[in-house]
Amino acid sequence: MLEKVRRACDQAEGVELPGQSPQFPQYTDPVAKFRQELERTGGVFFDARQPKELPAVLTSVMKQSDSTEIYWEDEQLFQRHGLPFTLRNPEAFAKGFLVYSFHFRQEMKLPILLNSKRYERSELARVSLSASSAGLGVAETGSVVHEVRSGAGRLLSVLPPAHVVFLSEKDLLMNHAELFRSLPLGQYGSALTLVTGPSRTADIEKTLVIGVHGPKQLFVILTS
Amino acid sequence: MIRISANTQAALADQKLQRNLRQTLSKTLHSRNEAVSDVPNWEELRQYARDVKTHTLSRLADYLLELEGKVSEQGGRVIWAETGQEAVQFVLDLAHEKRVAKIVKGKSMLSEEIHLNESLERAQIEAVETDLGEYIVQLATEAPSHIIAPALHKSRGEIADLFVAKLGMAPSQDAVEITKTARKLMREHFLTARIGITGVNFAVAETGTIVIVENEANVRLSVSVPEIHIALMGIEKVIPRTSDLAVFLKLLVRSATGQTMSSYVNFLNGPRRNGELDGPREFYLVLLDNGRSKILADDFLRQTLACIRCGACLNVCPVYQRIGGHAYGSTYQGPIGAILTPQLRSLEEAPEHAYASSLCGACYEVCPVKIEIPHILLRLREKVQGEKNQKAAHLPFEKLAMQVWAWVMCSPSRYARLGRWLRILQKNFEENGKLKLPFPPFNRWIKHRDLPALPARSFKELYSSSEKQP
Repeated sequence: MLEKVRRACDQAEGVELPGQSPQFPQYTDPVAKFRQELERTGGVFFDARQPKELPAVLTSVMKQSDSTEIYWEDEQLFQRHGLPFTLRNPEAFAKGFLVYSFHFRQEMKLPILLNSKRYERSELARVSLSASSAGLGVAETGSVVHEVRSGAGRLLSVLPPAHVVFLSEKDLLMNHAELFRSLPLGQYGSALTLVTGPSRTADIEKTLVIGVHGPKQLFVILTS
Repeated sequence: MIRISANTQAALADQKLQRNLRQTLSKTLHSRNEAVSDVPNWEELRQYARDVKTHTLSRLADYLLELEGKVSEQGGRVIWAETGQEAVQFVLDLAHEKRVAKIVKGKSMLSEEIHLNESLERAQIEAVETDLGEYIVQLATEAPSHIIAPALHKSRGEIADLFVAKLGMAPSQDAVEITKTARKLMREHFLTARIGITGVNFAVAETGTIVIVENEANVRLSVSVPEIHIALMGIEKVIPRTSDLAVFLKLLVRSATGQTMSSYVNFLNGPRRNGELDGPREFYLVLLDNGRSKILADDFLRQTLACIRCGACLNVCPVYQRIGGHAYGSTYQGPIGAILTPQLRSLEEAPEHAYASSLCGACYEVCPVKIEIPHILLRLREKVQGEKNQKAAHLPFEKLAMQVWAWVMCSPSRYARLGRWLRILQKNFEENGKLKLPFPPFNRWIKHRDLPALPARSFKELYSSSEKQP
């Protein structure tokens, strides 16, 4: 078969692979653009670049998603985004946070946790809010990149009805040209997803319906 | 043999179909145009994408080999399938070997092309379409009528009735309720299926990455839960570099749905790796030829394979807008279907596809990779006609008629005189301003077209009379 293909394009006059990528838009305020695009898709944006905003932001996320627990897989997630200190804040706990972390293999003992327990696959179906950290974000389209790595999986960010993504401001890129110049395809894990807003469909009379097979709600929290 | 002409009358007379087409296509066209006008260098992007495709197609064998190497390195397996039958057989054998009773499927036109579902059904393997549009047409035991929006020909009411009848949904015309029903039902399938089958939008040769674009997350689930993932791709889907994706995704998404970006773009590099908590343990990539290398061999027609299946040419086509997708009688519809079908199969099997176009050129204008569809249609018509002409008896008559016509057209007075005669003659055949000519060759011509009667006075007469009375 390969020989057949080779013979078929043997005589073909090709053109050189274009070198210079076309211009992609730049923004003076990428955060504002990111927010605008995310909200256009039905996503919800929170600015928590001031760490003291975090308790209020998290409270709001939990209220909006009608959840009392957050599930996540990445051990460093909350540390990386400056959360441990915040969550130790008694005020936050007083508002009824019940934070579970989970892991297939090992018990995690992060200082921030009130409760830590082993995560079973069967629990996935009843998780109402999951959290992950975005490797990268793109202002042009309000997108975030979800990476699968060792110690994490593909399902937790897609099965629950609500998902919250932490994005660090330094990982926010301008546009897709920048993104695909630096996208670490296959370098860390087997899957990577560019997420832009909640799951949606327009298969019925082109009417937009939010929340089909994936999360109905997508929150993005921008941290510094 | 597929006869489009046998299907058009029914499609045109179908009031429901006409209403559904009008409503949905106008919405799609509007959002596509908005999304494109937002991009100042759209033309530059089109040319860039086309150049990448032209380059890739001229070295397709090399890029496919590179892709295979990378996929294998990551623990996936590449299957080369020369025909649809070979691809189907691979899936059947694998399902049997692993004793799989249920498969979840992401939307894949390629699987429609090779009639995978029918074969799975015959082998008593349950194949569930998980994309909402695909699921709707599967429930209705129909084929997709649009390569991006499979159930575009159905109204909300028809879909609701289908869900009530087949799934016992509580009666509701609400798109949200219908979607909820599908979500609930599909969860069960996702969690119990052991093979996930998807299509492929792009395959990046340099990294061995399979790229799948979607909105619903049904693909994300299909490639996360089942223990085996099979991705089906036509050999033309390979692109050389990751960096090219920026342009291709921008073109594809805006052209297809008018979004700035679809909800999910999946980048998959083989099966799950050590330490990952879920994902398939086996990954297979099927590379399908099924007539593509034949298209590749023709210097002009090769560009047909640059298509990224955005569906924009369907939405904008005046023929598709009127007859819908099913009338084409083939997997691929609209302008791209009109050039792809006779080439993938044969002109004998699809002799009318090249004629299902008014050659208005709108398909070329919207094509994000600048495929010269109208010219390809003409080339295919030449081929069809060439075959006919070899045994043509009507040629001497046609030649004579043309000579007479030329003679008349060369003199204004001859032309005016012919007009006067025809106006007298036509009185016997005129009906409501149209001519009914029940003898050859006109009877065949007016079967599907109107032949308007000549007006009572010619332009010349009108002009000179208006000069007299200013």
